[in-house]
Amino acid sequence: MVLRLFNQFDKIVEKISSAGLVVSIILILLLALLNIICRWVDLAVMWIDPLVRHLVFLCTFLGGVIATGRGTHVGIDIVSKYLENNSLKRVKKGVSRIIICVSLATLVWLIYASYVFFKVELEFGKPQFLGIHSGALVFIIPFGFSLIAYRFFNQLLNSLFKNNEDESC
Amino acid sequence: MLAVLVFIGILFCAMLGTPLFVVMSLAALSLFTMAGVEVSAVAVEVYRISSAPTLITIPLFTFAGYMMAESGAPKRLLKFAEAAFGWLPGGVAIVSLVVCAFFTAFTGASGVTIIALGGLLYPILEKEGYKEKFSLGLITSSGSLGLLFAPSLPIILYGLVAKVDIDKLFKAGVLPGIILIIVLSLWSVINGPKTREKRHFSVMELLSSLRAGFFEVLLPFGVLLSIYGGFVTVSEAAAFTCFYVLVVECFIYKDLDFFKDIPRVILDSMSLVGGILLILCCALGLTNYLVDEEVPMKILDLMRQFLTNKYQFLFFLNIFLLIVGCLMDIFSAIVVVVPLIIPIALEFDVHPIHLAIIFLLNLEIGYITPPVGINLFISSFRFKKSVTSLYKASVPFLILSLLVLMIITYIPKLSLFWVE
Repeated sequence: MVLRLFNQFDKIVEKISSAGLVVSIILILLLALLNIICRWVDLAVMWIDPLVRHLVFLCTFLGGVIATGRGTHVGIDIVSKYLENNSLKRVKKGVSRIIICVSLATLVWLIYASYVFFKVELEFGKPQFLGIHSGALVFIIPFGFSLIAYRFFNQLLNSLFKNNEDESC
Repeated sequence: MLAVLVFIGILFCAMLGTPLFVVMSLAALSLFTMAGVEVSAVAVEVYRISSAPTLITIPLFTFAGYMMAESGAPKRLLKFAEAAFGWLPGGVAIVSLVVCAFFTAFTGASGVTIIALGGLLYPILEKEGYKEKFSLGLITSSGSLGLLFAPSLPIILYGLVAKVDIDKLFKAGVLPGIILIIVLSLWSVINGPKTREKRHFSVMELLSSLRAGFFEVLLPFGVLLSIYGGFVTVSEAAAFTCFYVLVVECFIYKDLDFFKDIPRVILDSMSLVGGILLILCCALGLTNYLVDEEVPMKILDLMRQFLTNKYQFLFFLNIFLLIVGCLMDIFSAIVVVVPLIIPIALEFDVHPIHLAIIFLLNLEIGYITPPVGINLFISSFRFKKSVTSLYKASVPFLILSLLVLMIITYIPKLSLFWVE
């Protein structure tokens, strides 16, 4: 029951990230084209370039959220390939749990590090473009890492309890 | 002692297959903590990527490449290339090389080329009478063939990491890329079926296939001319290309539905881009720490005991990069290795652009180098063949590519003539 709740929230995270990515990419494309047109007519719109770069920055994390769900993060997968080829499923499951735990712990550390940076920026930063405060821009980092961390957390829960719950059903 | 234990632990996690962005972050966080620096410095480094002016090119070119791969573009381009080159001896194999190079340049050798084109090319090669082993080897090696051509994602990433002019890198890759294609084409001619139905060049066929795929055939020329002609910057070319491909595939050829297909393609391409950029963000902290601690200089001092001149260094570099290339993904290799080798290469008087081409060519070869070259596994999955059979199939192509690598390494002019 609790696991189902976590899975549902994971789906919501996936949907929000997917929608955010689609909207961001379309916006990036349109703004980049607008920037070119402005350059042609000698019109300098200063906010387009930093906005586009921050949208790409946001896409980095949202893309990371999707990659986490799909399990397509880039890694040196020599061991997992070996385990797969030699049908060592139990060992592979154990390895996968270690990977999830290490990832989750590191992400929590990263969230803490980026939260400290965010607080500093809120206190000492200043508006960057379109009146957006640098603190708000920096908030992308703890927000993005939190979403990715949640997906790893959900994977860990599924890896530990899914079989048991299936059996009880 | 603690540092050594941490290093072994992180290395162990990396070998198990932990996502590289996690490995990089963990290393950076640990190193900063041990050095008594506040860990928020890692987040500051992560944020630094948002100020890279060419950052936008990565998602846009990748999105454009994925749209093409998902549309009917592979079929149309193949038909055109067949009409243009199919009449030559070894023509179909040459067609495969050219089309794959084109596709890889746009999709960044992420395996899309083998998945998207392999299924089309393999039966054609088989029908033409090419041996199975040759066909598999050809498609497997072609999966990373266009890495040196604009607007390939690894070139852009290299430029970002190494702070080298991306326009110049695009120019520098052209001749080495063509040489590699020519060498592999010659091998294809030699290995072509001895008895084949002679096909004649037909202007009508060429024109009809050109008409069918006109807008896609135009694309690489448009991108190259606009950048090299100085009409647009690389970032603008990325926006144009993306918009152009979107319009062509959704509204001219109507292969993709804007509302049904485009969101799916965005998610597919951005999961790759997200993964790569996360590594780049998280590695910035680690590499900057290493550079601050003068690690490259310490490696250089160590190397100076064994290597006395540029040529020895280049030979050593090639061996090192080949090992890196078959162990690591190209994107992670660029992010991790480039900042370390640049200062050393400069000390040995290797031109940064020449170094870039050597680096990228090595990693391109790494894709087909046993035991863990990624193309070997993608082909194994795509064609349902054992990985060992693909090892054997790709060996001749690997040897030829190594030969080209030697030529490119020891004749810098081939990479630099257009840049200088």
